[in-house]
Amino acid sequence: MSATVAASFSWRRVWAIVRRQALVQYRNPGMWFLLLVLPVVDAVLFTSIGVAYNNGLGAVRVLFTGILLFHLVWQLTLAGSLGFLEEVWSRNVLNLITTPVREIEYAVALLVVGLARTVIAVGLIGIVGGGLYAIDPGSAGWVLAPAAAVLLLFGWAVALLVVGLTLQYGDSAEVFSWGTLVLLMPLSGVFYPVDALPGGLQAIARGIPLTRAFDAVRIGIQGGGVAEGDLLIATAGSVVAMGLAFWFVLRQLRRFRQQGWVTRFT
Amino acid sequence: MLLEANGLRKSFDDVQAVDDVTLHVHTRERVAIVGPNGAGKTTTLLMILGAIDPDAGSVHIAGHPLPAQRHQAMRSVGFAAGYLPLPDRLKVTEALRFFADLSEVDDPAAAVDTVIKELDIDHLRTKLCMHLSSGQRTLVGIAKATLHRPRLIILDEPTASLDPDIAFRVRDRLAQINEEHHTALLLTSHDMREVETLTDRVVFLRAGRVIADGPPSEVAAAGGHASLEELFLAEAARHRAEQL
Repeated sequence: MSATVAASFSWRRVWAIVRRQALVQYRNPGMWFLLLVLPVVDAVLFTSIGVAYNNGLGAVRVLFTGILLFHLVWQLTLAGSLGFLEEVWSRNVLNLITTPVREIEYAVALLVVGLARTVIAVGLIGIVGGGLYAIDPGSAGWVLAPAAAVLLLFGWAVALLVVGLTLQYGDSAEVFSWGTLVLLMPLSGVFYPVDALPGGLQAIARGIPLTRAFDAVRIGIQGGGVAEGDLLIATAGSVVAMGLAFWFVLRQLRRFRQQGWVTRFT
Repeated sequence: MLLEANGLRKSFDDVQAVDDVTLHVHTRERVAIVGPNGAGKTTTLLMILGAIDPDAGSVHIAGHPLPAQRHQAMRSVGFAAGYLPLPDRLKVTEALRFFADLSEVDDPAAAVDTVIKELDIDHLRTKLCMHLSSGQRTLVGIAKATLHRPRLIILDEPTASLDPDIAFRVRDRLAQINEEHHTALLLTSHDMREVETLTDRVVFLRAGRVIADGPPSEVAAAGGHASLEELFLAEAARHRAEQL
């Protein structure tokens, strides 16, 4: 952040946007479903599958931890992409542009909202695991902390990608906010090693940073300690993904102004 | 000079929407941009607001160049459009508070109360913006545009689709703001009577170019017409003929 931007960065504007997003969440039943119901349903579904086909507590833990980490990244992505889509749906984009708000302030606000959503969803899943299945959510050990950080970084890169697409395609880009991570879910080995995938898909799966993070967590659950190599590759891949997403959204903002896309939002 | 837009040009897909438009607005001035549909009014406004980058030309607001200092420039600007709703799931007071915070108004609660009183919309306080009628939405939009006491208020079709009573209230309030706070007004309108009563200068656009710039009566007379309305109708007929 340059000195000029840092000097005029306003936490008050960030807070105003966070408050607006919170009110949207409060008054939208669909958002409550995504935040409170879906994580619980997923936790019960996947953990019960693990219990039903139990080959020992390890499989149950892998499934439970997988869905917990999936929601960690998904809720953050949803907050970013749906947060901006809400401005599109309520045709508020031009209103925002004609205020002193900065793009970076808006992005920070959505990140704050996303992190809050993530804490709530992951907390609920943890309660389901501990309360209903007697699973320790931290059974993978210390590897969870760096793996979660990598997943959040990657999730935010996906959110920026969807915002960039929304700038061009408007609410037609909604499918990407739901679909991108759902597409990555089977490919990134959330619940199984990528060796379980058909041959052609394995090569694609190994190129996704999330895969290495989930691998590292599975190794942790199986008592193999912290897989530093996997985590390093996952971190490097996520940093590259974030760099590309950042470049893409800046490019889209520039095109937004050059091509007059704002008229699609009024 | 409050607004200095020089040599603005913009084309979309080989259509020249705005072609070398220069527009200067001084403190306390009331200026209207008029012209038939497709003349380039809204594109010009959107370039002045920094929402669209011109292909050529420059815009300065209160001394701040766009787009480099858009954020600082927008502190001096209030914007409302007849077609533009406010955030759906917020109540009117929440929406106004939201925009007051974005503009970092010193006492946002007091500022919101003041504009609500000024526009006589106290009964709308707790209504969700998504449930407002078009007239109510326009009044709240004007409140949003004025609550941070900007030096320049930009309005795109502010009274379109309003009944005559509400349109009168909007015009009256804008005139008061201009008088009391020396706020400059820049608006587009298709209502030539509104333009004649509310503004003291008219910039007439045809096919993206300025064809006249001056007091309404002088612009009409220079075009050989008794009123702005007649000039507008003549220009609109000419525009239709050219399209055929």
